[in-house]
Amino acid sequence: MHSHPSRPHTLSDFTTALDQLRGSVLTMASLTKHNLQNAIQGLYERDDDSCNHSIADDEEIDLLEIQIDREGIEVMSRFQPVAKDLREVISSIKIGANIERIADQAVNIARRARKLNEHPELPELHHLDSVIKLALSMFEDATRSFAERNASLAVELKSRDKSLDNLNKDLTNELVNRMQDDSPNLPSYLNMIFISRCLERIGDHASNIAEDVVFAVRAEDIRHLGK
Amino acid sequence: MSTEKNPTLVLTDDFAPGEVNFIKVDNFKFFYGKKEALHGINLEIPSRRVTSFIGPSGCGKSTLLRNFNRMNELIPGVRHEGDITIHGTSIFDPSVEIIALRRRIGMVFQKSNPFPMSIYENIVYPLRIAGQNNRFILDETVERCLRSSALWDEVKDRLHESALGLSGGQMQRLCIARAIASKPEILLMDEPCSALDPIATAKVEELIIELKKDFTIIIVTHNMQQASRVSELTAFFYLGNLVEFDETRKIFTNPSKQQTEEYITGRFG
Repeated sequence: MHSHPSRPHTLSDFTTALDQLRGSVLTMASLTKHNLQNAIQGLYERDDDSCNHSIADDEEIDLLEIQIDREGIEVMSRFQPVAKDLREVISSIKIGANIERIADQAVNIARRARKLNEHPELPELHHLDSVIKLALSMFEDATRSFAERNASLAVELKSRDKSLDNLNKDLTNELVNRMQDDSPNLPSYLNMIFISRCLERIGDHASNIAEDVVFAVRAEDIRHLGK
Repeated sequence: MSTEKNPTLVLTDDFAPGEVNFIKVDNFKFFYGKKEALHGINLEIPSRRVTSFIGPSGCGKSTLLRNFNRMNELIPGVRHEGDITIHGTSIFDPSVEIIALRRRIGMVFQKSNPFPMSIYENIVYPLRIAGQNNRFILDETVERCLRSSALWDEVKDRLHESALGLSGGQMQRLCIARAIASKPEILLMDEPCSALDPIATAKVEELIIELKKDFTIIIVTHNMQQASRVSELTAFFYLGNLVEFDETRKIFTNPSKQQTEEYITGRFG
């Protein structure tokens, strides 16, 4: 179910402040997606420059997290939001924190990619493809569910997170086996395991974002269900 | 609005009021001349709880409040349909004496209205008009009511000075003290803090929370934060209809009706 934005507040500054907060979250998501793409490009194209960009640009994302917190607190103190406005502010702040963690994972991937680039490419590198594809699509859809206030899309992300966990587990097992057969390349296999683990964490954060979107749109708390 | 359209209150398990339908409003309509100001309200208010009435000006919340102690009957040309019962007895029953009814239902107004007499005489006034002149009982009542309204420490040394010398916040708390002097069961408050500064407002709100142990309190307020701070139940009125009635935390986090959401989030008009 898409929740359509309702009419603006009588006090137009309130609407402006909420729009500003929303815009900051979407900007942060967009920059993070770019950083992730740089890290993945650095990995596949063995391009240290792309990795370095991803690492350097993380600072801007950190600053945006702080900005989102500040804007959220300002909305709360100036306008005392209630109901869906309050849920949107709380969710935006929490989503900002999750995006920041995703950006940190982009930095971790970039650092591991630089290490991989120091050695010859392993044929198993492309075994990461499906993990990368699923993790990136989860983050993109989490962002889209927030942008469109699409709770159904957000709910669907939870099941994809389980698939990502399984992909990561299978790949890790495979790489551990390869380590035993190909010990000279052990550091590279280890770096690939770390990268897969980073991607699995990105799925977790995307799933957290989805939970916050469901809370903002439907006022339902779907965290820790079925555990 | 028809009867079946009125919202039904479903309380959560951890909400255990003394008596769920202490005050019962039954398909109540109210007319100022030909104008129908309330359109068939159904509402059950539990005892010893704070219930807020919110809604834009002219929505009927004060009209309903003033019906509980039949104050509206002072206005020429008014009439009602339906019924309001308190503890199962209709307040419109011919056997009900209005003075006795108002003794059971205290009221505090937007503008504090102390009488031009001493602090002491303000509080004992309801007792004196009921024929009570026993000095011991009057003294005891003054201390009890001033302590209950958190005013005792501030005025105990000047009980016989004019009430008109008190600050705005103190005057309003004096009026609350006077309203509870006759030991009513219900306390009606019509925007009791709208003329007070934030500190005086906080003191009155603290008092409201304290008083709910002994009284059933209904408060009309335009201050959403006040409704969410002091009340456990909130009723939202619009154009003479009761749109939504639910636990306050539900109303202010996830209201069921779009009109309620638009009003409390400031998207009205």
